[in-house]
Amino acid sequence: MNFLELIPLPDAIPVHWGWFQVLLLVTFLLHLLFMNTMLGSSIIALTREFATKDGHCDLNKDLSLKLPYTVAFTVNIGVAPLLFIQVLYGHFMYTSSILMAVYWLSIVLLVIIAYYSLYIYDFKFDALGQGRRIFIAIAVILLLFVGFIFTNNMTLMMQPEKWTRYFTNPYGTLLNLQEKMLIPRYLHFVVGSIAVGGLFQAVVWEFKYKKKIANAKDAVHSGLNWFIGATFVQILIGIWFLSALPKDKMMLFLGADILRTSLLVIGIVCVLCALFFAVKRNVWATFGAALSTITIMVLMRDLLRMTWLKPYFSPASLKVVPEYSPMILFLVSFAAGLVVIFYMLKIAATAGKED
Amino acid sequence: MNYPVWELYTAGGGFLIAFIAVIHVYVSHLAVGGGLFLILAEKKAYKSNDPLILEYVKKHTKFFLLLTMVFGGLTGVGIWFTISLLNPSATSTLIHTFVFGWAAEWVCFAGEIVALFIYFYTFGKIDRKSHLKIGWLYFIFAWLSLFLISGIIDFMLTPGQWIENHTFWSGFFNPTMWPAMFFRTFIAFMFAGIFGFLTSMFIVKDDTRLSMTRFCAAWILIPFIFMLASGYWYFMSLPDPIQTMILKRSPALLPYLKIFLISAGVLFAGAILMAVSNISLPFKKALACIILVIGLVYMGGFEFMREGGRKPYVIYNHTYANSILKSDQAQINKQGFLKSARWVQNKEITPLTKFAAGKEIFKLQCSSCHSIGGPMNNILKRTAKFNIFGMDSMLDGLGKINDYMPPFMGTTQERNALATYIVTGLQNKKDTPEMIVETIDKAIDIPPFDTDKDEYILLAWNNLGMHCISDSSPFWVLLPPANDLFAQVIKRGPVPEVITEDIKITYKVEKGFENPSAHIKLWDHAGSIFGKKLERNIGLSGHGLSGEMHLNEDLYAYEASLIPVVPYPDNGGYNPYPLFTIEAVDKKSGKRLAITKTVASTATEMGCKNCHGGEWRVDDLAGFTDATSADILSVHDKNSGTNLLEMAKNGQPQLCQSCHPDPVLGTKGKPGLLNFPAAMHGWHANYLSNRGTEACFKCHPSRPSGPTQCLRGGHANNLDCTSCHGFLEDHALSLLKKEKENGKPGAERLMKHLNPRKVNSLADIIPRTPWINEPDCMGCHTDFTRPDIKSANGFNKWTKGMDELYRMSHDETGELMCEACHGSPHATYPAKNKLSRDIDNIQPLQYQNSRKTIGFKKCSVCHIVEITEPPVHHLMPHL
Repeated sequence: MNFLELIPLPDAIPVHWGWFQVLLLVTFLLHLLFMNTMLGSSIIALTREFATKDGHCDLNKDLSLKLPYTVAFTVNIGVAPLLFIQVLYGHFMYTSSILMAVYWLSIVLLVIIAYYSLYIYDFKFDALGQGRRIFIAIAVILLLFVGFIFTNNMTLMMQPEKWTRYFTNPYGTLLNLQEKMLIPRYLHFVVGSIAVGGLFQAVVWEFKYKKKIANAKDAVHSGLNWFIGATFVQILIGIWFLSALPKDKMMLFLGADILRTSLLVIGIVCVLCALFFAVKRNVWATFGAALSTITIMVLMRDLLRMTWLKPYFSPASLKVVPEYSPMILFLVSFAAGLVVIFYMLKIAATAGKED
Repeated sequence: MNYPVWELYTAGGGFLIAFIAVIHVYVSHLAVGGGLFLILAEKKAYKSNDPLILEYVKKHTKFFLLLTMVFGGLTGVGIWFTISLLNPSATSTLIHTFVFGWAAEWVCFAGEIVALFIYFYTFGKIDRKSHLKIGWLYFIFAWLSLFLISGIIDFMLTPGQWIENHTFWSGFFNPTMWPAMFFRTFIAFMFAGIFGFLTSMFIVKDDTRLSMTRFCAAWILIPFIFMLASGYWYFMSLPDPIQTMILKRSPALLPYLKIFLISAGVLFAGAILMAVSNISLPFKKALACIILVIGLVYMGGFEFMREGGRKPYVIYNHTYANSILKSDQAQINKQGFLKSARWVQNKEITPLTKFAAGKEIFKLQCSSCHSIGGPMNNILKRTAKFNIFGMDSMLDGLGKINDYMPPFMGTTQERNALATYIVTGLQNKKDTPEMIVETIDKAIDIPPFDTDKDEYILLAWNNLGMHCISDSSPFWVLLPPANDLFAQVIKRGPVPEVITEDIKITYKVEKGFENPSAHIKLWDHAGSIFGKKLERNIGLSGHGLSGEMHLNEDLYAYEASLIPVVPYPDNGGYNPYPLFTIEAVDKKSGKRLAITKTVASTATEMGCKNCHGGEWRVDDLAGFTDATSADILSVHDKNSGTNLLEMAKNGQPQLCQSCHPDPVLGTKGKPGLLNFPAAMHGWHANYLSNRGTEACFKCHPSRPSGPTQCLRGGHANNLDCTSCHGFLEDHALSLLKKEKENGKPGAERLMKHLNPRKVNSLADIIPRTPWINEPDCMGCHTDFTRPDIKSANGFNKWTKGMDELYRMSHDETGELMCEACHGSPHATYPAKNKLSRDIDNIQPLQYQNSRKTIGFKKCSVCHIVEITEPPVHHLMPHL
């Protein structure tokens, strides 16, 4: 069976593919930030629940209030990149999703359980006492598993040469476990999340510090320490990830391709800056450098997919049947939506908010 | 076809999407209507200055947030995940067509989340006006979500102009977009009331609780009226084919319509009950829960109807339910399905790959709607009755008359592979071929005749070459046992004459056939079937198995009509050729003038069981089992909305022709219904297309290796059924075309997918009335000549009226009937009978010691002097 014959035919797109590419990258970056915050913060909260007797109550209590938001927005903002990736790469992604359908569909149920667990962790934080460990643990385990499924799908979708496995297992229970880059790629997301989770704590408590809330500075420092520790590990995993790539693809990031190599270099510089600022306890500078790093990583991730799919497909080859007016509808509603959301947040700011 | 198919077996057939969609849709409509509910409930609290109501609204908001945002939001994503797994092609079309619509909806989703969070967390923490403003913004975002999704969802049902221009706006503002949007909005309000009932039951104070339940009841009762009005508007906006599909065509959809209407009524009544004050709290709590469940059933009923209305498509007129694009259909049929599909391993069908290829075709063409042993359209249940032939025929007919399923796409070889897989794989049945019946040559006694001494010739025959009987009397009857025997007595002489006076002609069936009521149950059900009781072993016109024949003055022949002979001798087995002894006696002297024998051919080898399940009843050769008979009624009930099976079970089996008129039985039927032969051939031709004579002998007793082989006359040497009657499609179209001309509404539907084969187009087919316009002998035997066998074609050359039928015709003297000398149709001399070589040739052998036509080169059979005059019968010129 020649796997090339398996690749489905794509549908036409209504505007130039570049629009979708930009929308995909921007919305994915936003999704990633929320996802990192959600997963990283949950992991940190869980660690603290077990590492300290009272779960370092004020820090986790604060997190417990925020975690449901992070899930809500991770899911919501995740919808957009999931939409745009289907526009450009749907024929690859639908296929890989079907090959691992059981796992892929389970995401919905798992996230619902994780979400409710985090709500219980929030609403019953004090009432549950140590019992709340169970709920944060459930959320972390499920979210880690969801992430693992995503990594499997995102790697399987760009490797049609592996799709012939369907003919021995059409039951939707395939994963991409044989893939060398799977584990480092997955860990790169997880450990990155912990770093962002730490940074999130630092940012939140930096605000509280300005409001002169007691022990806020300690919380900022502890957040930054999480960031520093995780980022160190992240660098090692990054090297592992790079080395797990097939040699031709790896070399593109190590000199063979100027764009890809430059991005890697800039990314490394950014991450070193972030570490430097974190050590210097400069929260906002750390945030800026970390955001830059993540942005570079998102771009590199996308270029890696393009590289991988190059023999079979390029989004530039998609047929365009031009129809721009719906895009204007979207851009107008997007702008209007943002205005209204800011307006609502302004109203909300007049209250004591969740406190 | 473009994508792999996830093998789900029991959970297949769209179960996952139905499960997730119904739950999600329930909650997501609540998310819209519940928004306005919160605002108005909060206002009510302020107006009545009741802190308990405000407290209730706050608690309800928490419940609402946890239900709609977590469960509702994620199941919405879940639907998307599910459809992309189960129908990626259609999902891809939806995504690529409406990407910016979805994107705009995503903005609304984000706005909803932000607004709801703020609304919940700022309860009592910001001023009332601002808080209400946030509530309004939530509702606006939520309703805009409904507006956007409603347009896209109804696009799948009624894509309208999009089919031609493929533009976003045509697809979005499709013909049912507005009514659907209003309809869903009112449903959303009703759901707010339903969920409000549930939460308001927890209000402690009686007055406040009653006030809130009445408030909730209003949320159901007021939108209910508007829901009905917009529902009607929605339904009336549907194109005719979709309305017909919901109301008539798809038997599976009507229950959902009923569920929808009944549950709507129950909701209305429940809401009124909830508003009544003097009912106990526990009862109301239980009622609130019941209403909640009814609401889900109500929504489910609607969604199933909407989904079902677009059958056989998932995007109407564009993508079939199995993901195959309508535009690819012609190419697939031409090139073959396996060669067109991407995700198959077996591109060719060989004996070795046939089963596996069939399985792959099942997966790609069937499994999207059919589970294997699961709750959704269980394929095991639906195909249990079929053998490979029946299954293959069923597949052939898919999407034609009953267009709620897509047509099978691919070659006939692929279709057969699929049928083989379903029958031998899924059903795990062995496909045993029909029994091959060898020709036997049972000796027969030829009655004596002395050329020199005997003065009379007695010619007798059955006027049809084969009379078929449906011995399915406890369920239905299409033809009762009823053979017509004819006889003519010729007085030999220089000018022979046909005698019609002073003689008596009797008939008597051979031993063992005298008691048909011991073998079939017709006499037990005659009252229901014919409207009159019949004496046992007596036929419809009063004739028994022996008796006197009566002169039919119009035909100049003696006749015993409707003799109830059956092909089951008392000593067992199946014998479709019972012999009758015919005797002519001088009335005055009582002296026997002549004696002969003839067969009254009668067969129960009607192969309904080939497709309708069941087995042969007798010796694995012929006859109806109850399973076959019952299935035929159940299929008729399903397709035509009758209740014939129930009637039969209540002891009221019917004669098919009591509804479907039929000239041969002289029934008028019900006005507007197709005549019986047109209905039968027209319906079944859709399932038996592009076949040869097997399309005939799978139903009629003409199987070459079968026990009857009714085509046994001289024509059988070189011709087959299609030579005179055309292929099944031709045959059916000739009947249907006439019915169409007669203004019968059902004809068009049956004709739609039939293509003529004997002629180039439908316009070339000459319409005919069954039993009256039959193949005319003169069509081939022009001026009584022998036609060229290779080009002989009797199709489209119909007799103009009853009097021109072979069985009604006479020679040029006007006295001697054609059949008297040539034998029965399908058994014309010299015939070759499977049961006994010469059982159909008794009279030629008796009178001229030759199997050929009576008088063939032997005028002396009747004429005792040499004939020098020109022929007065119609002797062929070469004689």
